[in-house]
Amino acid sequence: MPGKSKKVEAQRRLFEAEVRPHLDTLYSIALRLTRSPVDAEDLVQDTLVRAYRFYDRFEAGTNFKAWLLRIQMNSFVNRYRRASREKQVFDGPMATPVGEGVMSRATMRGLTDPVGDAERQLIAQEIRRAFEELSDEARAMVMLADVEELSYKEIAEVVGCPIGTVMSRLHRARKQLQGSLQAHAVQLGIIEEDDSELEDPIPLEAFRARKAAKS
Amino acid sequence: MTCKLVRRHLGAFIDGELDPASQIEFERHLEACAVCQEHLAFERSFHQQAREAIAGVHAPEHLWNRTLHRFDEIDATRAERTSIEARPMRWRQTWPIAAAAAAVLIIGSVVGLPESTAYQGAGMLQDVVNLHSQALPSDVQAEAPQDVVRYFQGKTPFPVKPARFAEPGMKFVGARYIKVGAHPAAALYYNHQGRRVTLLVFQSPEIVRNAHRTHVGGREVLYHNVGGNVVTIRQHGGVNYAFFGDLDRPVLFQLAANARVAY
Repeated sequence: MPGKSKKVEAQRRLFEAEVRPHLDTLYSIALRLTRSPVDAEDLVQDTLVRAYRFYDRFEAGTNFKAWLLRIQMNSFVNRYRRASREKQVFDGPMATPVGEGVMSRATMRGLTDPVGDAERQLIAQEIRRAFEELSDEARAMVMLADVEELSYKEIAEVVGCPIGTVMSRLHRARKQLQGSLQAHAVQLGIIEEDDSELEDPIPLEAFRARKAAKS
Repeated sequence: MTCKLVRRHLGAFIDGELDPASQIEFERHLEACAVCQEHLAFERSFHQQAREAIAGVHAPEHLWNRTLHRFDEIDATRAERTSIEARPMRWRQTWPIAAAAAAVLIIGSVVGLPESTAYQGAGMLQDVVNLHSQALPSDVQAEAPQDVVRYFQGKTPFPVKPARFAEPGMKFVGARYIKVGAHPAAALYYNHQGRRVTLLVFQSPEIVRNAHRTHVGGREVLYHNVGGNVVTIRQHGGVNYAFFGDLDRPVLFQLAANARVAY
């Protein structure tokens, strides 16, 4: 480009080199958030335009990927949030509290080691469906933690909340995912629902006593 | 250490996010508790399965090229702005804005307006000028003006339509939702023969309270002097249309007078 200064060019090259490796990550999260390939492309592009404009504000040495994801998350919230209702649901007490023992042991066993490729694929398909039903922020949590494998500290940076909140939101999101998966998996006959009520966790003492009795 | 506690934090345990002391306690409990071991095996396997089910999406090839094209545009705008800054008109300098704020304050005290109103007006004027110099990206692009109307529905308490101009050199580029003070507003971006013009559409009586008034081509135009530059304002139906840009003074008056804000 004529008239483009060397400094601008160098800055541009540096930015491109830093951003390019994260394009798939940005897109895959954008796709999961917006649920639409067209919107996902727009969101990624908007994110990168903002990042490029504010590149001089990025502190060298800090986490570039987290910085990009934070911009994307903000863009998403500003652009697509449905009048910030969703955020309120998340920040406030959840409408549907999630218990700890949502899964019976039989279900857990059924889902822990799926037998054969067909069953594995069926479960994967069901996980995707259950995932799509999660709220925006729950999907973001699962994406950031389980797919991108960010640390809780990084997720806190991206989402803009304390680490403790990440921990509880992530827990809730995973339990919702599992709960929804279980309901469908039973319906589809992927796993069998056992009639026995959820077993009480065996206290350590009782376990030791039983172990001692056996030997 | 109870089973309940362990299971509540199994996710964090697997993610390696527990503090070292808790991590050791968890390991001890898990060694001894067969049921919790089952939970652990399940959680591990579930994380893995969820990852495999959801991951593996790649960005389409054209996305990167599309983005590079936008970077080119940003570079071009920056180069243009740098050349404009070399001219006497300098939006980015802060002293004229401070001078304008002071000027409004003095006017405020002379005509006896409450200070807070003067402050508000001055602050708003500064917001307006800052908004232009920041050149934030558009939320909606110019390709479909009806999208602009739709985009602002429910966001602003008044309908937002891109103003139309008789000047063939005035092109609508895009729009963005912003706030001026506490007021929701629409920033409409135009390009006038290669120079940026920002048109701010908003509803707040404060900004016109201390404004100068004049008539251009039979239309009333309000204005504020900001340093050596000017912000021109048209009013229609209780809504203000403030014009500012990297243009000469008479052009901004002409644009404000000729804008078709109701159609």
